[in-house]
Amino acid sequence: MSRVQLLDATTAPLTARRYYQNGDPGPLVGALATVPELLEVSMPFLAAVLGPSALDARTKEIVIVRTSALLRCGYCVDTHSVVALDTGLTIGEVHALRGEGAAVLADQRENALLGWVDAVSGGRGPVGDEVARRLGRYFAEHETVELTLLVGVTMMLNRFCTALDLPTSPEVVRRLAAAGLR
Amino acid sequence: MTAIAGAVADGVLPGRVWLYSNYHCNLVCTYCLTESGPKVDRRELSADRMLEVAQQAAELGFTALGVTGGEPFLQPDMAETLARLGAILPTVGLTNGTLFTGRRLAAAEVLAGSDVALQISLDSADPDVNDEARGPDNFARVVAAIPALVERGVTVRIATTRELGDEADMSRLCELHRGLGVPDSDHVMRPVISRGRAVTTGMGVAAGMNDLPAELTITADGAFWSPFGATVHGGRLDTDLLLTRTTDPLRVPALTLLGLVEGRPAGADSTLNIR
Ligand code: SF4
Repeated sequence: MSRVQLLDATTAPLTARRYYQNGDPGPLVGALATVPELLEVSMPFLAAVLGPSALDARTKEIVIVRTSALLRCGYCVDTHSVVALDTGLTIGEVHALRGEGAAVLADQRENALLGWVDAVSGGRGPVGDEVARRLGRYFAEHETVELTLLVGVTMMLNRFCTALDLPTSPEVVRRLAAAGLR
Repeated sequence: MTAIAGAVADGVLPGRVWLYSNYHCNLVCTYCLTESGPKVDRRELSADRMLEVAQQAAELGFTALGVTGGEPFLQPDMAETLARLGAILPTVGLTNGTLFTGRRLAAAEVLAGSDVALQISLDSADPDVNDEARGPDNFARVVAAIPALVERGVTVRIATTRELGDEADMSRLCELHRGLGVPDSDHVMRPVISRGRAVTTGMGVAAGMNDLPAELTITADGAFWSPFGATVHGGRLDTDLLLTRTTDPLRVPALTLLGLVEGRPAGADSTLNIR
């Protein structure tokens, strides 16, 4: 049970209605719709940061699942584990990103990425030079900027969804159970 | 000229801004859109806040104000507040008319000669029919209040809210209000809208965005498409006609409303004649 009322198609405010045209848009929209002027600006922003961009989808889902696991956001871990599988990550890789199994990301580039994600999302204060140098071997400066914003936005969503106790959708629960991830 | 002033001048946007001063009421009418009563959440706007909204409304180019509730005259100094609002823009104050005795009646004298009209609810010429919806003695109190206000120089309008018309009763009601000093031009009629308590009691007609004039409506909980949008059902504020939670600056909900109106077919609000 969420801590706030999640608006549905019958209670959605006027400017939020378009998000409901193709069915239930999920609890994030349901919660943000209670302040429609924030929904208006946050959805395009979230779509730009989390959606297709110059960074490949696999890299982005690694960032999102890992960050969400470190922040212990059940909703985001659940939801993005399914997205990660759809993006082509293996069940073992998703387990590893969630901190549930041995590290299986063999790729040097992706390990440098994990180092950066862990330092940005898990640490306090400055991020160490060595972590930054490792990342810089594999990612251009503009990619570093995008990755870092992605970590930050994911952390914001993690705290929002966790604090408001947003429920994982039944479809995601079913997919996770089928994959042995729940 | 602001975008709002232009839209109001062109008739694209209605000129009136509504303020919900409060949601509580001394009555508990069967069709009340806001489920008002003595013990509900008050959701008040202070007098200062209403005056601020009025000032911004005038600066943006709106041309009139309305104050509604709940029963606005449960708020202290409401007559004085209405007079101050009327000095900014022409104002109509909705009231159930049952509180104008003694001190409140005397205080209403400040409205004489002002740009404020009081719109009082009276649903039937038959006291029993009126009181069935609006409560015991409502008819007697209202027909006593109207001439008392008119005598004091206050402009009074009458609003009749009813389901399918009984024409004979309607002509008796018109005779009655003329006799009380209220001309035909100051008598408005509107249907019961199926929102709030009317949903619970199974009354009224459904009204959505396209049935209601786009009159910017400011409440303590946000801005709405229409005064018929800021309703309460099951103790919760309805959100289906919510524009924005932000009401200050008023430009924020006003421009949101304008954006929606510009996307709506012309004349779309005429079907139910809800004004
Ligand atoms: S309809 Fe008006 S007078 Fe009746 S309970 Fe509601 S707010 Fe009060």
